[in-house]
Amino acid sequence: MKDLAKALPWIGPAVALIAAVVLFPVGLMFWNSTRDISQSGVDDGGVGLANFATVIGFQYFWPILGRTVVWVVVVVGCTLIGSLALAALLNKAFPGRRLVRMAVIVPWASSVVMTTLVVHYGLEPYFGIINSFLVDVGLISTPEGYGWTRHPGTAFAWAMAVAVFVSLPFTTYTILAGLQTVPGETVEAARIDGASGPRTYFSVVLPQLRGAISVAVLINIINVFNSLPILRVMTGSIPGYDADTVMTMIFKYMQNQRQIDLASALSVIAFLVVIVIVAVYVRVVRPLEEV
Amino acid sequence: MAQYKRLGGIMAITLAATTGLTACGFGGSTGEATGDGTTLDLLVPSYSDATQGNWDDVIAGFEEENPDIDVNLQVESWDNLESVIATKIQGGDAPDIYNGGPFAGFAEDELLYPVEDVTSDETYADFQPTFLENAQVGGTTYGLPFIASARALFVNDALLEEAGAEVPATWDELLESAKKVSDLGGGVAGYGMPLGSEEAQAEAAVWLWGGGGSFGDAESITIDTPENLAGAEFVKKMIDEGATQADAGATDRSPLFDIFVQGKVGMQVGLPPSVGQIESDNPDLEYSIHPIPTEDGSPFTLGVADHLMAFQNDGDKQEAITAFFDYFYSADVYVPWVQAEGFLPTTLSGSEQLADEEALAPFLEVLPDAQFYPSTNPDWQAADSAFKALFGQLDGKKSAQDVLTEIQEQVDAG
Repeated sequence: MKDLAKALPWIGPAVALIAAVVLFPVGLMFWNSTRDISQSGVDDGGVGLANFATVIGFQYFWPILGRTVVWVVVVVGCTLIGSLALAALLNKAFPGRRLVRMAVIVPWASSVVMTTLVVHYGLEPYFGIINSFLVDVGLISTPEGYGWTRHPGTAFAWAMAVAVFVSLPFTTYTILAGLQTVPGETVEAARIDGASGPRTYFSVVLPQLRGAISVAVLINIINVFNSLPILRVMTGSIPGYDADTVMTMIFKYMQNQRQIDLASALSVIAFLVVIVIVAVYVRVVRPLEEV
Repeated sequence: MAQYKRLGGIMAITLAATTGLTACGFGGSTGEATGDGTTLDLLVPSYSDATQGNWDDVIAGFEEENPDIDVNLQVESWDNLESVIATKIQGGDAPDIYNGGPFAGFAEDELLYPVEDVTSDETYADFQPTFLENAQVGGTTYGLPFIASARALFVNDALLEEAGAEVPATWDELLESAKKVSDLGGGVAGYGMPLGSEEAQAEAAVWLWGGGGSFGDAESITIDTPENLAGAEFVKKMIDEGATQADAGATDRSPLFDIFVQGKVGMQVGLPPSVGQIESDNPDLEYSIHPIPTEDGSPFTLGVADHLMAFQNDGDKQEAITAFFDYFYSADVYVPWVQAEGFLPTTLSGSEQLADEEALAPFLEVLPDAQFYPSTNPDWQAADSAFKALFGQLDGKKSAQDVLTEIQEQVDAG
């Protein structure tokens, strides 16, 4: 107790900051999710768990949740495979490596919305550069191009491609940092024992990357689950709810229907889902433990 | 690996915590009074890049005449406007004067001054009576009609001539002409039909009302009716028979009108500011403006009026607000504002001043036949967002009946 009192002046500001910017908004979100809030923002009293019942009873709720799972699994999976390959390449010495390493950072350095908009405009019929290219090489027969971002399936697929693209740099660099901690002796020993290249990689290098990979995956899962801008831009003009994830649905409740109470209820659900995923992941993979 | 332990832990906590921020909005309170006088907070949307400058001019003139009143201007995009106002009200920081679309919800929550309490008798009497009626909730006027717009059919004369098609007055003629233009090929679309989320409710009104339907009145919203079904089914027919551009269900209005301006769309419904857009982007376009085709050819247009409204807040700024409105609606201040944005005036004196304005003539002509959204119905906002989210499904496997039923259900769920 005395120690705590002594430490308080040092940890106090940090605790206050966390309370103000993390705990208070989370608490408010939980509070709002149990209120009946009018469209103009007036609080009309408590309704218990009715908002949750409405959100879960919505006929597209389960498809949206399923699509969110697909979104997270595919994006994180593709990102991981791509990053492992890229990191292995960048770990080799070759002329111009520094330039290539810089280039890999670019998708990270530019705004996600900007990157997505560039692709989105490229996919527009009539004037999009990607569409024009596909028409010119004869892959699309209609002269104005194909409405990639106007069909739920193709729009969602392109959104996933963009999400992988912007997730690659961080993941690649985390794994690259991990690769550089792999002692050269272990690889050398494997080679002396006559192990082939792939065998060395999968049996010697990869196990030692466990720490780096598991942290990268954990952060990616949370990040991708909570990603709004890419889907918002790529699938925003599609009618109905056939291309929505939990995040875009929260946004639709809030922005289109102005039902802050329902948006809060769905946010609470999303929050709990992330907590559960992270808890299970931490328990099973133990990413925060020493190898 | 120890560095991962700490870094990973911190980042996991931070990222998980940001989930919590997604649905909470808090606006900081800005605009404290400077000096001894009254300060009016003004929250307005941006109609064009010039909006901020136009308001600055109005405010400068007003502050010169009323040195003891300061006006704080906040300009937001239309996309953000309604979440900004909701956040401000929730935070007890509503503006004094607000320029927006629907206001019935605010009136229902008893947040607004009745218009008669914040305007002089002369100003109140100068509004067009039809617009005042459209701004009433339960017999009391809560919104000051601000600017109006009407819709009309923009026709690309060159394309229609090339296809040998006539300017249509009825739906059947429209279908025939649009198909002829579509048959020209080369990516040309006969009729530009924007059912995407941007403004699906407008295209829906053009078709459903043009077939004799309506969205209901101040008491009830009725979407799923036999009259509306006729329009919805004809929309489906237009799409299925290839009279429209591809993917009508997910095409937004503004980008599609850009393509009309480029000369790739035969006909599309447009607004008064569309004239200015063609003038600046492609003055060579051969086009003309006609009444919107309806099922039986009777004249009709979709009128939209945005409103100014005054929030009560502490109830101590009534006089300052009245002074501002009386100043703003004087013809010498109001007409230049409306003209600069390319809309139509809602005051009698304003209409008189603009009577001989050529570009606005086709719109002023159809204005007497204007029908309005039932925006005084508190459920209209729900209907508006239901149309935005669902009406585009007409371009797909769902039947017209199913789409209307789904919209009605979402409205009733509120």
